[in-house]
Amino acid sequence: MKQRQGLIALAFLAPALVCLAVLRIVPAISAVVESFYTESLLRGGRVFAGLGNYTDLLSNKDFRQSIGVTLLFTVLVNPIQVAVSFLLAVLFTQRAAGAKLWRTLVILPIATPPAVSAVIWSVIYRPDGLANGVLERLGLPAQPFLTSPSQVLPSLIVLLSWIGVGYWMLFLIAGIQEVPEEVREAALLDGAGPWRRMVSVVLPLVRRPLAFVLVADTVSNLLVFAPVQILTKGGPNGNSNLLMYDVYSRAYAIGDIHVAQAEVVILVALTLAIVAGQFRLLRGDQ
Amino acid sequence: MQRLLPAAIVAVAALVAGCGGSPDTGAPATADQGPQTGTITFTGTDNAETYQPVIKAFEAKNPGIKVTYTQIPFDQFNATMQQRLSAKDAAIDVYTVDEPRVSQLAAKGFLTDLSDLDAKVKTSFSATAYKTNHFRDKLWSLPMWNSTQFLFYNKTALAKAKVTPPTADPEQRWTWEQVEAAGRKAMQSGGTKYGLFMEQPEAYYQLQPLAESLGGGSGIEGDDALTPAVETDGWKKAMQWYGATFASGLSPRGIGGFQTGPVFAAGDVAFFVGGPWDLKIFGSSKVDWGVAPMPYFQGGKPVTPTGSWSVGINPASKQQGMARKFVEFATLDPAGNLATTSTTTIIPANLEAQKQYTPQMDKFSGAKTAGAAAITTYESEHTAVSRPVSVGYIQFEEVMGKAFADIRNGTNSDARLQEATRQLTDAWKSIK
Repeated sequence: MKQRQGLIALAFLAPALVCLAVLRIVPAISAVVESFYTESLLRGGRVFAGLGNYTDLLSNKDFRQSIGVTLLFTVLVNPIQVAVSFLLAVLFTQRAAGAKLWRTLVILPIATPPAVSAVIWSVIYRPDGLANGVLERLGLPAQPFLTSPSQVLPSLIVLLSWIGVGYWMLFLIAGIQEVPEEVREAALLDGAGPWRRMVSVVLPLVRRPLAFVLVADTVSNLLVFAPVQILTKGGPNGNSNLLMYDVYSRAYAIGDIHVAQAEVVILVALTLAIVAGQFRLLRGDQ
Repeated sequence: MQRLLPAAIVAVAALVAGCGGSPDTGAPATADQGPQTGTITFTGTDNAETYQPVIKAFEAKNPGIKVTYTQIPFDQFNATMQQRLSAKDAAIDVYTVDEPRVSQLAAKGFLTDLSDLDAKVKTSFSATAYKTNHFRDKLWSLPMWNSTQFLFYNKTALAKAKVTPPTADPEQRWTWEQVEAAGRKAMQSGGTKYGLFMEQPEAYYQLQPLAESLGGGSGIEGDDALTPAVETDGWKKAMQWYGATFASGLSPRGIGGFQTGPVFAAGDVAFFVGGPWDLKIFGSSKVDWGVAPMPYFQGGKPVTPTGSWSVGINPASKQQGMARKFVEFATLDPAGNLATTSTTTIIPANLEAQKQYTPQMDKFSGAKTAGAAAITTYESEHTAVSRPVSVGYIQFEEVMGKAFADIRNGTNSDARLQEATRQLTDAWKSIK
């Protein structure tokens, strides 16, 4: 009987398992295997290269720069997005006039595909674009934005946050609304001010959704691709060459699929290491 | 929360899926021609309207065969095709091939061998077009179009700035130095925001002539055409000048590939370097303009770009017979080849079609395009230099494109060319 139940369960799970295997596991294994091979276009034939692709990558200046840029980007973008999402969530859970309307406006960019957002921002960041128009009105000097090695990463962070914070804010709003009313009232009666209530009451109670947002946001930011491809092509001087874009350009622009697969494996490892680190930190907190 | 970890793996693994498949070398001549009737697909970068006339004419001549056209934007075309062809995607029968890419596409087995048409192709096209569509003595694609570049100028702005505009006579061709000086005057008193702008400011196609004009070579040398040579005096000088045009504000930074034409059409720039397609596109602009030959450097020689799209057949296509009929019609048949140029104004590669087409170029936008025909003929006979034929051209174009973008954005050009040499050496290591 038990065995029969198991078989029935397996039958129900089969479509999902087959999809998982065909769409995820097989390609992942194939990437790992292919990353150990190399192929010469002129001489032809696939040759086992061992760790050759990995050592090639690690000795490549552009790749090392790409890792550096990606780590810097990760360290900057995630705290900014999580903090802004949290502040917006606190703001929009206040009982204030038009809170729902504002909330909708903040969430709206999610409905725009990343590629379209990138095109919109390419016009905003143009030398004669909207951003410089606003700066000019305020009496400030025009900025180079995407064409400057030092401003390109911050410019991308602003763009990505415009797309992302609304989405992450939703999870935090749900979390804040879960905070029991009695707890807030108790704090109020104890004479805690708004700042105190946010830091000592709300923040500890939304730790779980906050942790989810941090981890999921980190993963999604490690895989940023469309804005880089559309706006900067990794430049100027490789200062926006995030790993995901570097993988793409190695695989399909340069056409070296095997080295690109080695890079994918490194990207996965890096993502897992960062996420594992975050889990450890969060567990330590509890 | 623990569920997130697998979610992360899955998310990254999903990206891996796209990287599967490995190319094999040398496409065998396909014996199976597939069905006689049905629908074939044709993939390219131009708007669907461009190919409507040729598709209509072909379908009328070949009842039972339908052609569907798919557009992939130019910026993503090469990478997308690389991905789909290496996955042996049979949903592409015919596709447009950028001429300098023929060698690598053929080497990767992404093109069907068309060598049995060799004799016909030799007599129907120019010697340059014939040569660029060959790799290892075999014919891999059929030339569809040819191109050249013109210097477009804003007549109103130049008149306002009291500058005598350049003439259409190739013997009176302006130098870049003259264009720069006149462009600055137009910015000061002609009412334009910028003096000079290239249509594709980060593309090798348009920038190769700068270096070649100064004797800098194509940037590729060696018997196997896999040795970088982008640090010659010509290249260094050309790129120093090019970088300075942006640093000084003569040309704008931050305006990308397909936003450049509208800058000229809106009257914001005095000089614009663009192709035959602009002869008609700018016709709808309110600006009064004219055409002149592409400039050269003082003390150097006039050099202009040439070459354009060819068409080839995907070896993975299951409809080789029908695909063959279509590519032959669009290139070898003068009427078919002409039909590919009736919407977008580009020069047909078929010599017979060219003879009929070129004289019409003078009237594409009324008096504004006067002289375009003579310029086109002159450039193709005297100044046209094609992009280098190398199995590493794809990597070359990619690396140089990024270098041009950085130089445009203010990076020291000598250092950036040195960096490009290193990147090319790295990228070509996997080919050798």
